[in-house]
Amino acid sequence: MPIAAIESLVELIKHSKATTLSEFMESLKDASQKLKSSVRNSISLSAGADLFLRFVTRTSHDVTNFEACKEHLMNSGKVLVEKAVAVRHKIAELGVQFIKDDATILIHSYSRVVMLLLQQAAAHKIRFNVYVTESRPTSLGIKSAKILCKAGIPATIILDTAVGYVIDKVDAVFVGAEGVVENGGLINAIGTYQLAVVAKAANKPFYAVIESYKFVRLFPLNQYDLPTHTSDLLAFPDLESRCYQESQIGENSEQNIKEEDYDVENFVARNPTVDYTPPEYITLLCTDLGVLTPSGVSDELIKLYL
Amino acid sequence: MTGPRDLNAQIESLVNRLRRRQVVGSWSVSLETALLLRQVVSVARWNQVNVLINLVKDVGGKLVMAQPRELAVGNIVRRVLRLIRDVYNSEVSNSNTNLTSTSEEVEDDDKDYEDDNVIKSPPQKSKTYDLQSYSGPGSIISSSFFSSSASMINLLGDGSVSGKEASLDYDRKCYNLKPTIISELQELINELENMYVNIADQAMEHIHSNEIIMTVGKSRTVEMFLKTAAKKRKFSIVVAETSPKYLGHEMALSLSQAGIDTTVISDSAIFAVMSRVNKVIMGTHAVLANGGLISVSGTQMVATAAKHHSTPVVVCTGLYKLSPLYPYDEDSFNDLVAPDPVMSFDEGELIDKVTILNPYYDYVSPELVSLFITNTGGHPPSYLYRLINENYDPEDTVI
Repeated sequence: MPIAAIESLVELIKHSKATTLSEFMESLKDASQKLKSSVRNSISLSAGADLFLRFVTRTSHDVTNFEACKEHLMNSGKVLVEKAVAVRHKIAELGVQFIKDDATILIHSYSRVVMLLLQQAAAHKIRFNVYVTESRPTSLGIKSAKILCKAGIPATIILDTAVGYVIDKVDAVFVGAEGVVENGGLINAIGTYQLAVVAKAANKPFYAVIESYKFVRLFPLNQYDLPTHTSDLLAFPDLESRCYQESQIGENSEQNIKEEDYDVENFVARNPTVDYTPPEYITLLCTDLGVLTPSGVSDELIKLYL
Repeated sequence: MTGPRDLNAQIESLVNRLRRRQVVGSWSVSLETALLLRQVVSVARWNQVNVLINLVKDVGGKLVMAQPRELAVGNIVRRVLRLIRDVYNSEVSNSNTNLTSTSEEVEDDDKDYEDDNVIKSPPQKSKTYDLQSYSGPGSIISSSFFSSSASMINLLGDGSVSGKEASLDYDRKCYNLKPTIISELQELINELENMYVNIADQAMEHIHSNEIIMTVGKSRTVEMFLKTAAKKRKFSIVVAETSPKYLGHEMALSLSQAGIDTTVISDSAIFAVMSRVNKVIMGTHAVLANGGLISVSGTQMVATAAKHHSTPVVVCTGLYKLSPLYPYDEDSFNDLVAPDPVMSFDEGELIDKVTILNPYYDYVSPELVSLFITNTGGHPPSYLYRLINENYDPEDTVI
């Protein structure tokens, strides 16, 4: 997603007819705003867009010639897209050291970089087992388990509610992320937070594996501080007004409880898709910038945006 | 060390002494390593920096392999490598006006840089790592920001130096770098020699009158630290005896001879006594990148007891003990030594029937440590990653 954002911004530069730098910057800002507002979950997308905008500001200071600047930006955009795959390999190479022989790993949902890391570990002849959470509502855990089994890594799907049941057998927890926020916390598929809490309670290391272009400038203080949170998420049904209707209708009250409220699609739609994991639950972050402690993330972000 | 002897013989000699455990202790090991590497830099013939880097890596690799438990060896090798890279980079940026980051240095004439000038004046960047002239966190932030330029932006840029390009970059011919590198190395050696004094100078800030302080094991750094404080303040020390080597006995003897009120307790009494203790001050064998400690066995127990009583744990350590390695596997840094001190061989009959393990080190996780006092000042465990970025190059983590 962040890569797609950058790609589309590069495309914009290619077709931009702006003549002054400020006009050019304005159009880029507009476009990134439009991108962000067009999707429901804009976190990873805004990471990419912000990173690219920041880069544009930097280059525009360095390069005096406007045309050359545009050329330079387009090239670097392409470079990044090419690098994205290489970056993941680098992370996998770094992360392999965290997997011990004969270990049991717990992963959550599906993440390309975590998959690559585990496959890399298997290629290094490390023997290990993987528990994958089903991770409702996307059920992407099933996809992960299929990929892992195909790669010759024994993987078992567990229900999201069974995390506490297996945690004692687990040696380490690995998750990917949609975004890493300024204090080193994670934004990831729903369920990551509870996984982290359980891992902390059981004293198991909790590793996050992420590409550095997913670092976002957000500082959420709690779950409801996320840009993805809206007031209709997990709203309580308004029973009062319904009670009033019931008393009017009288005896038929039981049929009056709306059956459609309990349809799976309906309540899933009213549930959050991502959650925020505070940094104190994260042991280490494995990124292409090296292995970082959660506090190291803010340093990287400051370096970039100072 | 500076005799006419063959360089290889010197390397071999240090390797053997490391292997036979004839040089022990992080400090003496790192001093010897630094001296040897200075010799390597000055004796070897090289005209390209990458040749020198490979040479140092090669020698360093041998030393690390000789005694992998002494993490300080690797740390010094990495420091030296970083120092060489910095000297080279500042040389290149001085002579190359095209680089963007040099915009403020460019004001002077180009010719100036080609002269000996470069050699005499220490390069700008290296000042960051010159720990003697440490002048507060502010300076470090700004200069490290400049030196490494933003690494996330490297993803996008081809303008700035990033990972792989940097290593290819070191092949420029440089003939005049040797004196600079050697003088920088000398500063590193000086830093090592003044280590204890620099740490002990901070003692007055941390030890107050009538405090009860607990310590464990024997550490020269802590010893100096406490003795310096004792010159002006009156406080008492509780020393855990640290079986099975009973290093605590030696420590207690030395402290009491300096006139400090000292009490020795058995290790099993640590938890009981902890409730009366104001502060735990201890040394360590090595500090890992996340702030975890590799320290004499018994430390973990002291740290956990301190946590239970919310007693602050202060760790005194020189920067040379700070390693960029992570505790991938806690046991891999440990050593099982001879079981003789636990149960001596005279015990005859029993010895056949039991398995005796005598691990030498403990791993203490960073949550249990409140503060590190290094020769550059006090730092919380969460700050260590920055010290690592300042002192080591990420490329050198694996030697």
